[in-house]
Amino acid sequence: MSSWRQFKAILKKDIVMELRTKEMLTSMGLYALLVLVVYYITLSQAGADFEVRRIAAGLLWLVFIFTSLLGLNRSLVHEKDQGCLEALLISPTDRPVIFFGKAVGNLIFLLIVEALIVPLFFFIFLARPGAQAGGPVWMLALALILGSIGIAGVGTLLATMSVNTKGKDFILAVLFIPIMFPLLLAVVAGSAAVLQADPEYVRTFWQMMGLAAGYDVIMLLAAFGLYEFVLGA
Amino acid sequence: MTDAALTSNALEVRDLSRTFGARKALDGVDFDLPTGAFLSIFGPNGAGKSTLLKVLSTLTPPSKGSAKVLGLDVVEGAVELRERIGFISHNPLLYPDLSAEENLEFFAEIYCIDRPKERIRELLDAVELDHRRLDLVRTFSRGMLQRLSIARALLHDPALIYLDEPYSGLDPHAMDILDGLIERVREGRTFVMVSHDLSKGLELCSHALILSKGRIVLFQDKDLIDEDEFHQTYRSTVGLGVS
Repeated sequence: MSSWRQFKAILKKDIVMELRTKEMLTSMGLYALLVLVVYYITLSQAGADFEVRRIAAGLLWLVFIFTSLLGLNRSLVHEKDQGCLEALLISPTDRPVIFFGKAVGNLIFLLIVEALIVPLFFFIFLARPGAQAGGPVWMLALALILGSIGIAGVGTLLATMSVNTKGKDFILAVLFIPIMFPLLLAVVAGSAAVLQADPEYVRTFWQMMGLAAGYDVIMLLAAFGLYEFVLGA
Repeated sequence: MTDAALTSNALEVRDLSRTFGARKALDGVDFDLPTGAFLSIFGPNGAGKSTLLKVLSTLTPPSKGSAKVLGLDVVEGAVELRERIGFISHNPLLYPDLSAEENLEFFAEIYCIDRPKERIRELLDAVELDHRRLDLVRTFSRGMLQRLSIARALLHDPALIYLDEPYSGLDPHAMDILDGLIERVREGRTFVMVSHDLSKGLELCSHALILSKGRIVLFQDKDLIDEDEFHQTYRSTVGLGVS
């Protein structure tokens, strides 16, 4: 059996279904937009002297963490609803192939939402006349990609664990945020370094990206090894 | 020559137990089923029928004992075994937002089938759904879903097919179509069916098994079954109910 062929089939199926229903992208996109509206109302009370750039990285990642929780839950519910997960489990597909197929799908959807929300966030909160210039865009993009890989990988594992439980939304959130803490710390600090572009920001950025990449590798390997157990439980 | 062809038994179940916490879903189940047979499994709710099917289809490992399906151990040979079994459930196991053809294309890729387009066309024709191949599965009736589900289960030409209450929720016409389909693909294959419908189960089977509280109450060749006695045994078993 070709694992690559099976991986492509799972990924293609998730993309085709999402393009058809737009369930995940619509809910994630709308939710992210609503959070931006709440930010706007809140920050409008902070006064003209308030430097949004100082907290911008935290605000941005807050949107993506909560938005991804919505999407991650949906991605497994599709499989569970019609018993399709059972059909996959009874097929000769290695469990890690199922994991990577689902995780890469979740990563793509999260990156699409980020690609829409980040420019909007800059336009609303950071693009002001005379505003301080940040670091290069590619550095922020790298932080977003490394953060999203961790979110999609760990999130797919935890969503699979919680999909059979009664309070799956609650359980996913309760497990997800503490486990994501080291990654969040790294990507928020790395993104903040780029956005503020203080002296020495490049060194801080690479230190944080190293931490994020290390987290991603360790957690993806752990998820790879644990997925069979999680599916069998 | 496959292992199944070499062994005369499609199923060899030895002292099989499966526990969930303190509850014993299966308790010392032990039987052999010859290759090419049709086994109907009966029993009240909670008797362990679905758990037995899950263990035999590699979805759940046994807690104790062993089971060989087509000569392969359900734990050690699980990956190889999954290439050779099909599963038809009362749940269609199909993606509602994909068309009939897309669903079969997906599973054809999952089973790495050569020349999938030809196989899919052949199966859609066999289950009389060729005219609806581009329609989303969510628009299908229960009977059509079940026919497509059969096409999905037959894609990789399995040697053994599990049927988990396949007639559940079907109208008489859809039941007739399903009967015809099973009859058409029956030759050379082994079937294991879980059913609550005694007459349908007995009509199709070559062997019958009654489970209660995870234990075998009766396992018999159909030719040796006295139907009155069988019904009486079943009624007394259902009377035992779930613990």
